Amino acid sequence: MSQRDPRFNQHVLVDTTPMPDHIPKVDEIGATSAPLMSAAYFIGDRCKAYNDDFMKCKDEANGRGEIECLKEGRKVTRCAASVIKDINTNCLKQFTAHWECLENNNHYLFECRRAEQQLNNCVFEKLGLKKNIPGTPENQVPVHMRPKQKYAQYPGPQF
Amino acid sequence: MPQDMPPVGGYTSVQYKRNVPARGFKPVYYLVGMHMIMAYGFYKYFHGVREQRELAREKIWSRLYLTPLLQAEEDRDQVRRHLADKAREKELLGTEQKIYNSDRFIRPTYVYTPSKVTQ
Repeated sequence: MSQRDPRFNQHVLVDTTPMPDHIPKVDEIGATSAPLMSAAYFIGDRCKAYNDDFMKCKDEANGRGEIECLKEGRKVTRCAASVIKDINTNCLKQFTAHWECLENNNHYLFECRRAEQQLNNCVFEKLGLKKNIPGTPENQVPVHMRPKQKYAQYPGPQF
Repeated sequence: MPQDMPPVGGYTSVQYKRNVPARGFKPVYYLVGMHMIMAYGFYKYFHGVREQRELAREKIWSRLYLTPLLQAEEDRDQVRRHLADKAREKELLGTEQKIYNSDRFIRPTYVYTPSKVTQ
């Protein structure tokens, strides 16, 4: 059901019928995987309420969530877009450095700690969003704050 | 007849040992050394596993924070196609038919593709 058989033809055949007018429009996020991964924790920090709201709506909709939770989904997308926009206006240099590093390193976060540290500091100063990994044991340094990463290509201190 | 007796002064000793000195340490030292090397290996291994666990936690939460966003986008696209299918059905058949005895949203098995190239 969730799988679509491949079509081996030369043309992209997509149903491009636009959304009906009675459903409000929203701009899609439009970012690729690396920037999204780079900004994921900031999106999670600012948009947690909207995200939880959307997932709860989907959970309680008894399989009709696709249609009934459009409103919550729009809020989720707008909130994430606002985070990306804020990071772009305030920390563009650090953000670009980090997601390009991710892009070049198979999306391994542990290869890009230096860029990540600079991005985290900038975002915390300008926007007040903090990277926090839930469930990290209390008595140890969170893995993104450790200068040495055992599994990185260069195992010495990255910053 | 006199009995055949050993020679006077006894037989000379027979060399049954190889004339090679025992090399190396006592075997127990090798046993202890092997265990120390293994202990060091396990020490490093456990630390590596702990870091792997934290890295996995970081990766999974970065995905969990993005999931609602990606799901919302996908849902919107599905609803758009669904509504377009409904409109097309109404235009062609005049009525809307329910093909499933369920009011859940069901992803279509067959996807409409336009007859002309659209992109």
